[in-house]
Amino acid sequence: MQLDHRIPSGPLTEKWDRFRFETKLVNPANKRKFDIIVVGTGLAGASASATLGELGYNVKTFCIQDSPRRAHSIAAQGGINAAKNYPNDGDSIWRLFYDTVKGGDFRAREANVYRLAQISNQIIDQCVAQGVPFAREYGGLLTNRSFGGAQVSRTFYARGQTGQQLLLGAYSALMRQVKAGKVTLFPRSEMMDLVVIDGQARGIVTRNLITGAIESHTAHAVVLATGGYGNAYYLSTNAMASNVTATWRAYKRGACFANPCFVQIHPTCIPVHGTYQSKLTLMSESLRNDGRVWVPSKKGDQRRPAEIPESERDFYLEKKYPSFGNLVPRDVASRNAKEQCDAGKGVGETGLAVYLDFADAIKRLGEESIRRKYGNLFHMYEKITGQDPIKEPMTIYPAVHYTMGGLWVDYHLMSTVPGLYVLGEANFSDHGANRLGASALMQGLADGYFVLPATIGAHFATATLPKIDTNHVAFTEAKKTVHERIQTLLSINGKRTADDFHRELGHLLWDHCGMARNEAGLKKALHNLPELKKKFWSDLKVTGSGAELNQTLERAGRVADFIEFAEIMILDALAREESCGCHFREESQTEEHEAKRQDDTFSHVSAWQYQGEGQTPLLHKEPLVFDNVKLSQRSYK
Amino acid sequence: MSLINLTLRIWRQSGPEAQGAFHTYESGPISTSMSFLEMLDVLNERLILSGEEAVAFDHDCREGICGMCGSVVNGKPHGPEQKTTLCQLHMRHFKDGDTLVIEPFRSRAFKLVKDLIVDRSAFDAIIAEGGYVSVNTGGTPDANTIPIPNPTAEQALDAAECIGCGACVAACPNASAMLFVGAKVSHLSLLPQGQPERNQRALAMVKKMDKLGFGNCGNEKRCEKACPKGISISNIARLNREFMKAVLFSNEK
Amino acid sequence: MSWFLSVFQSSIGKKYIMALSGACLSFFLMAHLAGNTFSFLGKEAYNSYAAHLHSLGGFIHVLEACLALVFLAHILTAILLFIDNLSARPTRYAVSATDRSWSASTMPYTGALILIFLVVHLLNFHFASKMISTADQVKTVLGNPPLGFFYLVALSGLTLHISHGFWSLFQSFGANHPQYNRFLQRGGLSMAVILGALFMLIPLLALTTDGFLQ
Repeated sequence: MQLDHRIPSGPLTEKWDRFRFETKLVNPANKRKFDIIVVGTGLAGASASATLGELGYNVKTFCIQDSPRRAHSIAAQGGINAAKNYPNDGDSIWRLFYDTVKGGDFRAREANVYRLAQISNQIIDQCVAQGVPFAREYGGLLTNRSFGGAQVSRTFYARGQTGQQLLLGAYSALMRQVKAGKVTLFPRSEMMDLVVIDGQARGIVTRNLITGAIESHTAHAVVLATGGYGNAYYLSTNAMASNVTATWRAYKRGACFANPCFVQIHPTCIPVHGTYQSKLTLMSESLRNDGRVWVPSKKGDQRRPAEIPESERDFYLEKKYPSFGNLVPRDVASRNAKEQCDAGKGVGETGLAVYLDFADAIKRLGEESIRRKYGNLFHMYEKITGQDPIKEPMTIYPAVHYTMGGLWVDYHLMSTVPGLYVLGEANFSDHGANRLGASALMQGLADGYFVLPATIGAHFATATLPKIDTNHVAFTEAKKTVHERIQTLLSINGKRTADDFHRELGHLLWDHCGMARNEAGLKKALHNLPELKKKFWSDLKVTGSGAELNQTLERAGRVADFIEFAEIMILDALAREESCGCHFREESQTEEHEAKRQDDTFSHVSAWQYQGEGQTPLLHKEPLVFDNVKLSQRSYK
Repeated sequence: MSLINLTLRIWRQSGPEAQGAFHTYESGPISTSMSFLEMLDVLNERLILSGEEAVAFDHDCREGICGMCGSVVNGKPHGPEQKTTLCQLHMRHFKDGDTLVIEPFRSRAFKLVKDLIVDRSAFDAIIAEGGYVSVNTGGTPDANTIPIPNPTAEQALDAAECIGCGACVAACPNASAMLFVGAKVSHLSLLPQGQPERNQRALAMVKKMDKLGFGNCGNEKRCEKACPKGISISNIARLNREFMKAVLFSNEK
Repeated sequence: MSWFLSVFQSSIGKKYIMALSGACLSFFLMAHLAGNTFSFLGKEAYNSYAAHLHSLGGFIHVLEACLALVFLAHILTAILLFIDNLSARPTRYAVSATDRSWSASTMPYTGALILIFLVVHLLNFHFASKMISTADQVKTVLGNPPLGFFYLVALSGLTLHISHGFWSLFQSFGANHPQYNRFLQRGGLSMAVILGALFMLIPLLALTTDGFLQ
């Protein structure tokens, strides 16, 4: 199979325009003859559903929550980037493009990223027109703040809940189309399989989470906007229901999975407190502006932080990176915290945390000023931990946050299965090996509002899509497989819960395919995985039946997929023998222990193709060509 | 961290038409640093292993923003802490030996689905009636075309913070959805973008709310107290104004 | 007409009726109280006030009819709301909140008490035989301990009712602003307390002071 990225020819700045001019369109009157399935209602899914409905297509939109408004985009805090250059500080589309490619450590496609930067401005216009209450200056105009990885202020925000406000905007547009009859909603539905007929994605099989009914839905194209797979690690900042099932099933039906090893780990999260912790909570990175990161110099020092004198504190970031200090990028900060804890210098009950201390900043600026700046974050921290960061240093630890990898898509956002489109975090396309802050919201909305609605028509205008119905053998077969799998899960009747297996998988991945990876560890994980899978399928306990609301069964199905998925994640990490962005291979580092890219051998997208049960997937490489930016090595010394 | 033991009286009901009842469980030792939902996770793990069905409860983000979780704990939606969703309620707020009565949100408009899960699609149905600005994608003016005073934008955001969890309905003695509707109507009527559809929105959303079987506002302020986002009843007052303006001074029906 | 019906069938429309009629009834209470204060000036003053009121003739009957309509609107809408609200939560909570506001949570019940009181009050005075002077009538009715106590209880109910109702009617009309919310809330409460206290003073005096209205 040849991966065809279908990037239009011509200069970078003209590609998107050229594409829109050259692409075939669907006559407005014909649009209503096409059905589109959209799975997921986060920023990408909701905005795509709404826009496709506005254009006249018949849209069927599915989500696993009880309402489309609850998708996990809602939890994004920081903001959304755009190249508006309102602050007049030298921003431009070109600069946003460059920052994003560089931030992704040169592992993203130039053409996709440039298009993203171009569209970023329209997104802000669109959201404001919908009534998204962005932060404003006293004069009434929009205000911006700065974010990591950029020297300009280009981030639009709505307090600490930008994701919520943007999602509610997209959700409201979606509900407008529901009212107009152009979108049919299927809440509390989980996609269980993709149906491919004559090589085209023609529908999905879902499980109605209320009744347990396995249902078939046909369409002329299927759009997956089902988010990332961070929950493979069990603990992450993702929502509980975030899962890999939809993309994994699509993978098994022929869609290639790209760069699965690119997982972003966020340095400032509230540490794990016990075995039964269900999720990790992110604290805004802005805290590192005034907080100093340290651990006790002595191993296993059990004293309270206040009892440890300054001379016995190791401010390891400031020591190691004198020019950036506590403000090194996410991956560097994360890796160093892990290093300290692995060396036995971690703090807190579990030893898996480092201090983030505001004492000096309070001394310098006064308690009042620090409270004003970080009051809401301190409040959130106190609510969860019961400790006041003003009195005692905060404890933080890195957590899995975002997955840059995802289903491989071309410039049209179409996967290797014709008619299957993938948007948002679920695809791999725009962030390379590392995502910059405030770029996820931008990508989700760009894909949904602007890119997909422009590209999907080309498919309808050119593909032959005969009429099908749910009695087609492909549907009955898929339904049967889904049904059998559920029956198997229910009939094992072993002694361990799905969560228990999930935790085990999480530990395995975190230890060997986490912040720092090496060949031996990855091979070990790869070796242990089949054992875990075998145990899962022989010792799992699921109560209840398949014909009712059964959350235990839902979780079991998702964990089963995570276990299968983990394999390509590890394989990918093993194959990529370089360090880039979030992917740190210990074998590939500079003398100063920094990530070292190997541009000669690894300047490509790794796309994995399913080869059948028990077979090693096939690796395809899409070379990355950089005509417009100069590749450089990062340094934060 | 310390450990506490609790007695849990949880509403169990296998389906909408089934007969429900309280079941009593001993929590076993619970770490005070756990969240309320993690405490339920622990209980559920035990139930599953003993062959009993896990307690069904809605939850997702577990950071207080998605609005999916929510049960009534000892008579209070989202439990005893103010401005807190159930997922952000931590066990350190309870004492060893406490009995917690955990019930689903109760309202005619929120049909019970299973155990602690209720159907809140009525909220989506209300939003579909006008909780939006009718703009299609594309063709919108530059974002800075219309200045909006900072305090107005902030006020709109205060209202837009609603997470649609339904605690206001659950807390209201009359199971009214006025705080939810008031928040959305306020958010959009405060902003210039929301002006063109202002009257129609207020009328249509209130009409739908009534039709769905929510009760009437008694100005008792229980909703404001229960709201995890602290949405003020001044938004209900604004809805009352908007509705009156629409009824008396507009041509909308 | 259909416009009118559709507005007042809506939940907010019903609240407008409650608030508007409540406001009218509050004015009536104030006027009533103003009249009652003549009783503190002695029998003569009180009787002459009553006589003056009766001499208004037709005008007073029109006012009475209006008042009756307002009462009817307030009561009927309240009953509709009460039934509707009961059915809005078919299954009650096993544990109910313990920190509800007294005045707000008892509105339907204090309302019912006031309705009973209204009937008794009308029977005592409006539909009573006019053989003796109004002042004597007051003294006889309110000086009777069971009745006097009933008046005191009912008037406490009224106080509770309007202590929520005053503020509530402003909220229903959409008057809510940080600039004057405190004024409305405190003002409403003070009004209720003053009104209630002055009303209650009459049965209290009738029960305890021999010289009252003599």
